[in-house]
Amino acid sequence: MAFLDINNVTKSFSQGTAAVKEFNLQIEKGELVSFLGPSGCGKTTTLRMVAGFETPTTGHVSISGEDITNRPPNKRNVGMVFQAYALFPNMTVGGNIGFGLKLAKKPAEEIKQRVDEMLNLIHMPGLGDRYPFQLSGGQQQRVALARALAIRPAVLLLDEPLSALDAKIRVSLRAEIRAIQQQLGITAIYVTHDQEEALSISDRVVVMNEGRMEQVGTPFEIYNFPQTEFVAHFVGTLNALSVQVRDPANGHLVVQGQSIRTTQKLDGVRAGDTLMISLRPERLSFAADGKKTNVVTCAVENITFLGSIVRVQLRLGESLLYMDTFNNPFLELPKLGDKTEITFSAEAVLVLSSSAAA
Amino acid sequence: MSQTPSLRLGNGDAPGARPPSQKFTWAWVGLVPFFLFAIAFLLLPSASIVVNSFKGPEGGFTFQNIIDVVARKDLRSAYQASLSISAITSIGGGLFGFLLAYAVILGGLPKSLRTFLVTFSGVASNFAGVPLAFAFIATIGNTGLITRAIESLSGVDIHRTGFSIYNIWGLSIVYMYFQFPLMVLIMAPALDGLRREWKEACENLGATDWQYWRYVALPILLPTLLGTTILLFGNAFGAYATAYAFSGSFINLVTIVIGGQIQGDVLFNPGLGNALALGMVIIMGLCMLGYSWMQRRSARWTR
Amino acid sequence: MKKVNIWAWIILAIGMIYFFLPLVATLDFSLRAEKDVYPSLAAYRFVFGDPAFYQNFGSSLLWSLLTIVVSLLLIVPTTYWVHYRLPNWRPAVEFVTLMPFVVPAVVLTFGMIRLYCCDPLPLVSSPILLIAGYTILSFPYMFRAVDAGLRAIDVRTLTEAAQSLGAGWPTILFQVIFPNLRVALLSGVFLTFAIVVGEFTFASLLNWPAFGPYMEFLGAQRAYEPAALALVSFALSWGSIGIIQYVGQGRGGEANLAGAR
Repeated sequence: MAFLDINNVTKSFSQGTAAVKEFNLQIEKGELVSFLGPSGCGKTTTLRMVAGFETPTTGHVSISGEDITNRPPNKRNVGMVFQAYALFPNMTVGGNIGFGLKLAKKPAEEIKQRVDEMLNLIHMPGLGDRYPFQLSGGQQQRVALARALAIRPAVLLLDEPLSALDAKIRVSLRAEIRAIQQQLGITAIYVTHDQEEALSISDRVVVMNEGRMEQVGTPFEIYNFPQTEFVAHFVGTLNALSVQVRDPANGHLVVQGQSIRTTQKLDGVRAGDTLMISLRPERLSFAADGKKTNVVTCAVENITFLGSIVRVQLRLGESLLYMDTFNNPFLELPKLGDKTEITFSAEAVLVLSSSAAA
Repeated sequence: MSQTPSLRLGNGDAPGARPPSQKFTWAWVGLVPFFLFAIAFLLLPSASIVVNSFKGPEGGFTFQNIIDVVARKDLRSAYQASLSISAITSIGGGLFGFLLAYAVILGGLPKSLRTFLVTFSGVASNFAGVPLAFAFIATIGNTGLITRAIESLSGVDIHRTGFSIYNIWGLSIVYMYFQFPLMVLIMAPALDGLRREWKEACENLGATDWQYWRYVALPILLPTLLGTTILLFGNAFGAYATAYAFSGSFINLVTIVIGGQIQGDVLFNPGLGNALALGMVIIMGLCMLGYSWMQRRSARWTR
Repeated sequence: MKKVNIWAWIILAIGMIYFFLPLVATLDFSLRAEKDVYPSLAAYRFVFGDPAFYQNFGSSLLWSLLTIVVSLLLIVPTTYWVHYRLPNWRPAVEFVTLMPFVVPAVVLTFGMIRLYCCDPLPLVSSPILLIAGYTILSFPYMFRAVDAGLRAIDVRTLTEAAQSLGAGWPTILFQVIFPNLRVALLSGVFLTFAIVVGEFTFASLLNWPAFGPYMEFLGAQRAYEPAALALVSFALSWGSIGIIQYVGQGRGGEANLAGAR
């Protein structure tokens, strides 16, 4: 049985709009699952239903088999970290962290011990007497994390905890959050719109769009084997191409008069049909470096030097393709406007179904 | 919490602009008219009050005026009356004004009621003075609406039973008319400033509504609450027109006595009038200090 | 998700009763001028037929106009200058504008009369003291309105942008800064108007004709007409605030600190 079970949950607001549609997820103990998606996709609403700040219109939420769907938020023993930190400005750092324990009427000594423990956990020992307004954004968020963890919650919920912070801090803090989560073995749900964040720290990712779950899987699966067009577009850069089917049984396709092959099964399509396929930029390379199964000729439109990666913008008929190739000081790059041969393997060609029903 | 730096500057101007250079400029000349005016009509009169408080009837330096203010029964009772009415209306007005603001912002009432109450408060706080006094005389005076209603309902003419509204309590009821709105106008934005996440974070950690108020919301609001109450206190203490129009010289308030002095009343000793005025300025000054100290404290938390 | 609180409704009801009852009573009272005739507009007819009403109200209009002019002339350039060139002087300016609270009208009048009653500066016989008092009374509102308006338009950046495009001072002031202050200025002007017209203390103690003392005088002489006047006064306040709300779209909701008390 799953530790946290979100069972067929939907949420509709009074105006009739459905914010969350049939959300179904079983989370194991100790897992960190991300809800990833654009603004308004329903990820925060779902999180808030687990926290108790929203009630599902239909469906159930259970923790360890106990149905908590209708329990008020102050009786659920889940810890929540808010986007805007929400530290109580009138209390010190120590006061904030210990607040949940104080409400539970724990003895003062135990509270002090636990607060010190938490301060060490977030690498801020001795700062217990500071006030929130004296801390930086990153420090405040760490304190918010400690406050949520101090009560030993069954589940940790994080609502876009890093979006208010600078880019550099975001990267280091997300690693810290993941380290703490693994160290404590606590089950966590992490809501974000930043796919790099989701991919780098999660055990599994749920990609959401317009209230629906588009795909659930490990970061590797989501990135490399997107099941819907939305997921393919949202996660990572994607090249999407419109192609015609020539021979479905052998995976033969035609794009711009050039023939390519895919190893993916083409079920339910006939010769002459039009399909959308996707290609990841890093799966493309210059044919001059060694040919793979598929070779197409494109025009070079732009070359951007990004440091360790060189991004080449190619034109294939009407379509724009991006190719990421590793930087090589001795590589001779083609000139703008040149026609060049680009190659990729048959496995790299992914056929996209358009959205849901994955 | 947004990190835009411009929100942190005192006057919010051009965040990136360098401050004007430190070399000597004639720029201060631009402020001369304003400060000249202020000196002539604000600072000098106030200073003269202070100085003349220490002048005896013959013109020499004396503390006698100050002593008299405390020692003379009629003057002491004027201060007592003013202080009581200020205390009553600031605490009572503060309490009910806060409840009103709470009702309309956090009490689940329709948004339109909030807009209405805040607009009405803007008008009501301006309705003080002569017209307000008349309005209440028309309400609870000898032939006022309520008086007549009670009479027709119970046959009792409350004014004939010795009950009178022309005392501190009656005047307090009148003062409330501009004290409540003042509280509402200041507390409404403060209540708005209570972020929703604080309540949710509290609930998340296991708090009940009452615990949220006790540990988080009230402590955060306390500086504003106290500061505004102090403001209300000063507001009532300095009121003149309302009291004069309502009860004339019947109720012995400090402002009424000073007013009487100006109109050539019985003290015969200008120094004494000055001492009275000085006492007022000191009390009001303390109120102002208290209010701004509280303001600074609350600003620190709600950045 | 807000749960509707029964107590909230109760408190609001009590508040509304307290606020509206006097208004209703005043209206009722003002309609009783004629014995045995209810409602009667006799009180209103008297007021609007009384030449003293027009004289005094007209005087108040004059005072408010003069006050507005003086106040604008003092506050607007000063505030602009503080914003643009001398931000360090801001606390001093702000302190002055808060003085009407510390030195209430009665006390200020007392001080002014003692100071300026006799030689070498006998100002008491001219309305200078009255206008000065009113101007000081208007400071908190004028300053706050102009200050907020200037803050909203980020004066220094705008001025520098205009300068970089080649504008001279008159252009900057009249074509860039002031047009953007129009709303703020209107709000300050109407507040000042409402305050001066309803003011009693200064006018009464300095012995000048004005609407406030006229109302008080009538209150001592007649029974029903004062109620009519009170309503007229209330309607004027409401009208002024209404205009401010309409023009400013609800900006500047902070409180009235030092009006006629």
